[in-house]
Amino acid sequence: MNIAWKEIKKNKVRFLILGSIVFLVSLLTFIISGLANGLSQDNAALIKDLPSGQFFMNEDADETYNLSRIDSSIQDKILNNQKDAVALSIQMGFLNDETGKQRSVAFVTSTDSKLFNHVKDGEIVLDRSLEDEGIKIGDTLTNNQYSGNFVVKGFVDQKKYSHAPVAYISMEDYREIYRVEEMQLVFVPGEDSSLEIAGLQSFTKIDFLNTIPSYSAEQMSLNMIVWFLVIISGMLFAIFFYMMNVQKMGLYGILKAIGVKTSTLFKMMWTQMVFITVIALALSVTFSQVFNMIAPKGMPFSLTPETTIQLSVVFLIIGFIGATLSGVQIRKVEPLQAIQQGEV
Amino acid sequence: MALFTIDEVRKTFTNGEVKEEILKGINLSLREGEITALVGASGSGKSTLLTIAAGLQPASDGQVIFEGENMAAMGSEQVRKIRASKFGFVFQFAHLVPFLTVEEQLMLMLDVSESKLKKHEQKKEVDKILRLVGMGHRKNAYPSSLSGGEKQRVAIARAIIHKPKVLFADEPTASLDSKRSKDVMSLIRDLTKTLNITTLMVTHDEEMLGFADHIIKMSDGQVLQGVGIIVEN
Ligand SMILES: Nc1ncnc2c1ncn2[C@@H]1O[C@H](COP(=O)(O)OP(=O)(O)O)[C@@H](O)[C@H]1O
Ligand SMILES: [Mg+2]
Repeated sequence: MNIAWKEIKKNKVRFLILGSIVFLVSLLTFIISGLANGLSQDNAALIKDLPSGQFFMNEDADETYNLSRIDSSIQDKILNNQKDAVALSIQMGFLNDETGKQRSVAFVTSTDSKLFNHVKDGEIVLDRSLEDEGIKIGDTLTNNQYSGNFVVKGFVDQKKYSHAPVAYISMEDYREIYRVEEMQLVFVPGEDSSLEIAGLQSFTKIDFLNTIPSYSAEQMSLNMIVWFLVIISGMLFAIFFYMMNVQKMGLYGILKAIGVKTSTLFKMMWTQMVFITVIALALSVTFSQVFNMIAPKGMPFSLTPETTIQLSVVFLIIGFIGATLSGVQIRKVEPLQAIQQGEV
Repeated sequence: MALFTIDEVRKTFTNGEVKEEILKGINLSLREGEITALVGASGSGKSTLLTIAAGLQPASDGQVIFEGENMAAMGSEQVRKIRASKFGFVFQFAHLVPFLTVEEQLMLMLDVSESKLKKHEQKKEVDKILRLVGMGHRKNAYPSSLSGGEKQRVAIARAIIHKPKVLFADEPTASLDSKRSKDVMSLIRDLTKTLNITTLMVTHDEEMLGFADHIIKMSDGQVLQGVGIIVEN
């Protein structure tokens, strides 16, 4: 007989409360994690979405890509020797639209590569978020430092840098605006990260992301919040299962007295724990994914099903450990105690 | 032959520094099919003896021999198996499982005792026992809706549904009024006689002694010699 299920059926409210705690706490964790990930996308999708590889900047740039100037002869050598290597530069700047409205963007230019959009002189390709703000293909945009006009050629999805939309321009135009000849960075895609080049400092993708000051600070606090939530919810689960078990000590004692195996009692508890947690998690995964879809466009929120599943598994494991730890009492309970303690 | 023999059983409890011997070498045997009543002042060690005999706690010394085997020397899993399949328990309180219906309580016991009966045979058996204890009409009720006497009758049904060899009853009527107590006692007597169950029962109610075949008096952790009374019923 499935006593685990019978108990849930009889004590619906109690299990409903437990389930809602799991649901609310996990939903909160999912939402915060979606925000963390969303902010990180918003801050550095341009870099994050690149394949893994090595970034190079000048050794004397003090780990600040803005200060890096890569000598063109070194750059040529790398680009010739390394397959798919690309030199690029990023600078924050402004664009004015036809009505004179100013918009902050991240200008990006690069050598020929399929990793970055390539545009001709006088043309510009923008992140999709600017299309949502009303800019259309064919519009002309201007910049204070640029003599001509940029004609909008197209839009790309999810290209953000330092919370600003990316604007791809040609190397020629970039040089005119920022008055520099050299590129700031060279990126060499590939799993291997052992390439060393004299005079240049190498960064992995993560290392490079962390040189962006706002990025590391932001991610650190958000990840901290997510993991605190995970830990706190883990303790919450454990405490709740513990309290349920404590309430049931008398019952466990009686069941033991009539000959129910301790392992059966554990199975009963696990069944209930898994049942409640899986339903609650399924609901909060669904809710968070729905939220992901309906979240307002301007809100940096990005929650992949994989992340939610991963977190769910963490929750399930934590719930299991919590339930099992509190279940240690089941082992300890003496049938006799329960009998002597009177009616359950 | 005695089905159940208790041989020089001792029990010592340690309270901090103080060691106290609660059972001081008990010898007794239960005769098959008979009801043995254990009487004596409160604190004389009756419950301790009964729970040791029932395999609910270990003796400090001595032997508890059931069907020729010494339970005191067995591992806890072996004792559990005996409890589950060969013993039945009734206590002062019914100790029913709050979230199971009357019928389910008994089905659970059949499960625990690893009954070989098929599901529908189990249900039939449950119906039969519930009719015997006069609870046939309440089989879908939960314990919370039963009166004290009704709960105790269900507890008795649960204690015998799996046809145990020995029934252990510790003051089974203590929470009931005089009329209910007699009903419950005569029920235990009738059932154990029909099913040939050997019974060890603790009581301090003089009125209940009339239902016993054999009375053993305990005092201060010992069986009083020469007062073994055979009651003719
Ligand atoms: N687990 C225990 N620890 C310490 N002392 C106990 C324990 N169980 C029983 N006792 C003591 O043993 C004595 C006999 O108890 P018990 O067997 O319950 O007596 P009775 O059932 O005859 O009233 C009592 O003094 C009681 O306090
Ligand atoms: Mg007692």
